[in-house]
Formats: sequence, C-alpha cells, structure tokens
Amino acid sequence: MSFRLAVTAAVLVSLGIAADKPLTEDQRRLNVESFEHVWTTVRDRHWDPKTNGVDWQAVHDELRPKLEKAKTMDEARAVMSDMLSRLHETHFAIEPADLYDDLGSDDAEPGKEKPSREGNPGITLRVIDGRALVTEVDADSPAARAGVKPGWEIVKADGKPVAPRLKKIQAKFATSTLLDILSERSVASLLTGPSGSGVKITFTNGDNKPVDLTLDRVKPRGVTAIFGNLPPMNFWVESKKVRPDIGMVRFNIFFQPDQLIKSVQDMVGACRDCTGMIIDLRGNPGGIGALAMGLAGWFTEKGGQQLGTMITRESKLNFVIFPRPKPFRGPVAVLVDGCSGSTSEIFAGGMKDIGRARIFGTRTAGAALPSVFERLPNGDGFQYAIANYISSGGKQLEGSGVIPDEQVKLTRQALLAGHDPVLEAAVAWIEPQKK
Amino acid sequence: MKRNSTLLMMGLALLVAAPASRLLAADELPKGDAIVDKYVEVTGGKAAYDKIHTMVTTGTMTFAAMGLKANVTTYHAEPNKTYTEIEIPGIGKMQDGNDGKVAWSLSAMQGPHVKDGDEKDQAMREADFNGDVNWRKNYKEARTEGKEDVDGKECYKVVMTPNTGKPSTRYYDTKTNLLVKVAMTAKTPMGEIAVESMIDDYRKEGDILMPHKTTLKQGGQQFTVSIDTVKLNAEIPAGKFDPPEEIQAVLKK
Repeated sequence: MSFRLAVTAAVLVSLGIAADKPLTEDQRRLNVESFEHVWTTVRDRHWDPKTNGVDWQAVHDELRPKLEKAKTMDEARAVMSDMLSRLHETHFAIEPADLYDDLGSDDAEPGKEKPSREGNPGITLRVIDGRALVTEVDADSPAARAGVKPGWEIVKADGKPVAPRLKKIQAKFATSTLLDILSERSVASLLTGPSGSGVKITFTNGDNKPVDLTLDRVKPRGVTAIFGNLPPMNFWVESKKVRPDIGMVRFNIFFQPDQLIKSVQDMVGACRDCTGMIIDLRGNPGGIGALAMGLAGWFTEKGGQQLGTMITRESKLNFVIFPRPKPFRGPVAVLVDGCSGSTSEIFAGGMKDIGRARIFGTRTAGAALPSVFERLPNGDGFQYAIANYISSGGKQLEGSGVIPDEQVKLTRQALLAGHDPVLEAAVAWIEPQKK
Repeated sequence: MKRNSTLLMMGLALLVAAPASRLLAADELPKGDAIVDKYVEVTGGKAAYDKIHTMVTTGTMTFAAMGLKANVTTYHAEPNKTYTEIEIPGIGKMQDGNDGKVAWSLSAMQGPHVKDGDEKDQAMREADFNGDVNWRKNYKEARTEGKEDVDGKECYKVVMTPNTGKPSTRYYDTKTNLLVKVAMTAKTPMGEIAVESMIDDYRKEGDILMPHKTTLKQGGQQFTVSIDTVKLNAEIPAGKFDPPEEIQAVLKK
C-alpha cells in the first residue's frame, strides 16, 4: 500500500495555478496555511519526536518569512520543499501539478469524475533504457490475440507519444529509486481505461517496424480484492515448476492472505524434494505488510527471526517470522525489480538479511514506508511518512531499496528472444545445488 | 470473564497514543483491592458470577478509519479456556486460543504462533474465567494511585501488579464503581505495545452487568469491539479449545 501512496503522492493534482504567475492575495493566504499544515504535521507525526535532530521550530522561524515573500507558486513550493528537505528523509515531499498528467494519477481533475483505470489490453510493461517495452502479454488477452510480443516497444498510445513523457520523468527523478516505478506507471496509465473501451497503440515490433493496433481494454486477470477503504484491486497468484525440481510462486500484490498463502503452501507441499524455490516479486508493489512475515514463515524453520523493525512515534514493531510446521528448506531465490515496492521490499530485504534468500534482478523502488498523502489548502500534494523501517541487517530500505545479490537486467533482445535473464540467473544459481 | 486485550492483540491497528488525563486529588482514597472487589459486587456479586461456567459471545470489530468490519466470536469456559475467531473481509480468519496449558494464535497472514514467557503469562491471566472475582490469584497487588478524569468521569486509578509481567492501570468510575478504562503494555511477538481500552455500554446479561463495547487505542489508531449476543452457560462444542493442527505441529517440533 505504501507504494501506491508513494506513487499517488507524486501525482497529486493541483488547482491549476500557473507556476510563474504572480500570486493573488487569496493564493498567498492558502500558501501560508499550507506551510503551517506541513510544518505542524511533521512536528506532530514524524516518527522521531526530535525530527532527526533538526530544530524544527528554528526551521519554521527561518522559512515562514520567505514563504510570505514568495511571489509565485514555484517559489512557495520551493520554500516548503526546502523545509522538508531539512529532514533528509524520502517520502516527505511537496508535489506540484506539472507532473500530474504525465504520471497518470488516479485522482480526478477538478470538476471531473475519477477516471476509470480498471481495464487494460493485457500488457505488462517496463521502461528499460528509456524505452517502454512489453515484458509480458496475458494469455487470451486482446494483446495476445493481436499478436503483441514481449520485447515490442510501446511508442504511442491514443496518439500520445511515450518518449517525451519518459524524458520528463527521467529529468525529474533521475537519481530517485522511484524512477522505474513512476516511468512504468506513466506509460501504463496510457494503456488503461474503462473496460470495454479501446486503445490505439503504436508499437515497434521485433523487426523494428511500426505496428498500429487498436486493442480492447478488458478486466485484468485475477480476482477483485477488497480491503477496507482502499480502492478495489485485482489479485492473482500463480505457482508452477520452472524446472522439474524448481518451484516458483509469483503474485501481483500482497493481498488475499488465504488465497496467497494457500498457493504457497501447495507449492511448498508439491516441492518438498525440490532443489530450490523462486519467489518472483517483480512488479509487485506491496500490500498488507504483515503478509511478508506470513510468507517468510514458509521458508525458515528457525524461530526468533525477524525481517525488520517498523518504528513509529509510539512503538517499535518487529516483523517476526513464525516458522510454518513444514517449511521449505532448500535454496530460495527472490526476483525483484524497480517496480517491487513496500511489502515486497520488506520481504526481500529481510530474507536477504537473515541469509535465507539470494536476490536477483534490479534495485527495488525504495518505497517501503507507510506514507500518507494529503491535498494542501493551496491545492498541491503533500506526502509524509508515518514510520521508519529498518531491515534486520540494519539497513533503511526507504530511498535505497533492496540491492540484489546478483544484478541482472531485462533487455529488449532477451525479451524478443523469449528469454527471462533474471529467472535464468536464479535457476543457474539453484541448479548446481542439487544433491 | 475474558478481557478484550486478546482481541486487541489480534487487531490490525498497531500504533499507539495514550492521551494523558488530568490527575486529581489523591486524598482519602479507598484501597485498590476494595475497589476491585466492589466492581464484582456492583456488576452482580460473586454468587452471580459463580453461577456462570461458560460464555459464548458474538459481535463485531470495527476499524472505522480503515473501513474494515470483522465478525468476532468468542468462547470461554472455566477454569481458563478460551477460543476467539475473527473473520476480517480481505484478510481471512484469525484465531486465538488457550486450552489452559497452551496459548496460541493462528492466521493465514502470520502463521502459527505458540505463546511463551510474559506473553503466555498474560494470555493465561486473561483466560481466567472468573478473573475479576479471583483477581488475587493473578495479581499480587491492587494499589489506588489517585483519581483521574476519564471522558468527564471522575475515576479511581488502580494499578494492578500481576504475579509476573508489567502492571496495568484500571480506572473505576467513583460514582458507579464500573470499570471504564484500562491502560496496559501488551506483550506481543512484534514487541511491546501500549494499549488503552475504553470500556462502555454496560448491560445486564443474566444477573451480571457486563460491558458490551470496548474501544481500543494503539498507535494513534483505534478500533471498537461491540458485543451483540451473549450466551451464558452455553454448550460449547467438544474440541473447541483444542489447539488446531498447525499449532499441534509446531508443538511437536
């Protein structure tokens, strides 16, 4: 969930105030209210009451006069961003409007209904080396029926070119661990829409030729998971043997505990004598945090271990592992990428730290914290974290992500050739360990 | 009867806030053990409690801020057997039990857990069927520390020191002597969590005046447990308190 919040926070809509226009008196007042709201929220809700040793009152007293002198929205935002930057934490941000459309927010534009993003043509994508590439095509989906293949590049969707928006995101988030996930979300938002609608996509195929296709958007695979106030999300889990003696489980989100854990339990049961097991968390943005503990319990028999600790202002919560009665004892590989966030990172980072898994792929999104986003009185977005999370090895995952033991990237060539180099690297590590 | 702190441990909200109440004068205070004994008296008296040997309740657990509502069923029998089942939409079944020897919890989300140490001691105390009547069995001291205002009610603040583990603080309404609040540090596998329970909606069940609503606050979040039905001396299915297979398997390891 924190992933979703993190990304959403980065895409909050503004009230459409042009950045470079002089502010009206009303806008100035709203900016002051926003400044005070941000400052007070950090004072009252940051997990460290001492705000990381920063004299928060002094920051207020220094910056409030500057905020009052701000002549444009950009200047006002810069002052508030400066305030948050003093914390030296990720997940504290003021997000302006100009990235809103490009990042594919789920928020409604003022005065309009929230856009439906339920349907998609059955395409999973990643932005690799600045290009939006199809990495997977759902079986029996409109994309599959139209002959779309992994490795094809998405060039345009409904007339909107992909490259310029990716360049803008690259420029803004070049050094952020969120770059991959924001880029993916941006392009994915062009493909999604109401079920039953169509999307015209221009691809570059494996022969580097343009292919124009109009694909129907359909309900995504899996079941609709409902969890409290959160918007409905689709959940799927699949387990299979990628080799006769190597099991694999992958799922798109940490939801539906009964269904997820049952699948893992069944695979562990069917794979009792397997050489190894692979947990594929690529593209998995997280979900219910406690499920990381429940999943880990299938892969260790040693009690008293923990994946990490979540620290709030009032408590420290250890993410303890309760070993299942008959856990899998062989080698475990966890696959991750820049679109693995939150609970995926808690699981992967913790399993790595306790020495129970080897991690393959690319660095994760570094978005492990539960964060909250709010709209400020001036219309900008304000994101703040309400906890810190330290993996059992003492590392803060936020902003740095889980760095794989074996860094392996997908490439267009590999995708076009039907290869998955990350999975293959994991298999290559497991196979020699056969007894 | 069983206190709701077991439900709390099974709850999802995991963060804490404990608003300070105004400390009032501490002169001429009744003794703690007299206040705890009087609670038994005003809620029906020892004889009424002694007539009850089992209890089954159904109700709900509401996490308003998260938009979650779960169904809760509890079974409780003399001398110290409990079983609680919570069904949360989107999460599944969470179970917690105690057969008088083994205290455990189980959920798809977190897996099987057998309690030990302070956590087990706490679970055993809470499982004591007539814990309020026989409180001296589990606590070495009940000490009145003063009076405090709790939501506009003047209350006696009584610190209960158990035979093992950390003390908890109870707040009894000075007018009615009903328990209105409990503050404690719950020992959980995830760490120690400060918890505040606001106890309300006393209604008669048989000859006993019983609270039907508890609002639990932890970490700035809160959830409410409401009891809809209470069956006293209900027949409890055989084996209800037996640890399930997954727990048995852990015990055999």
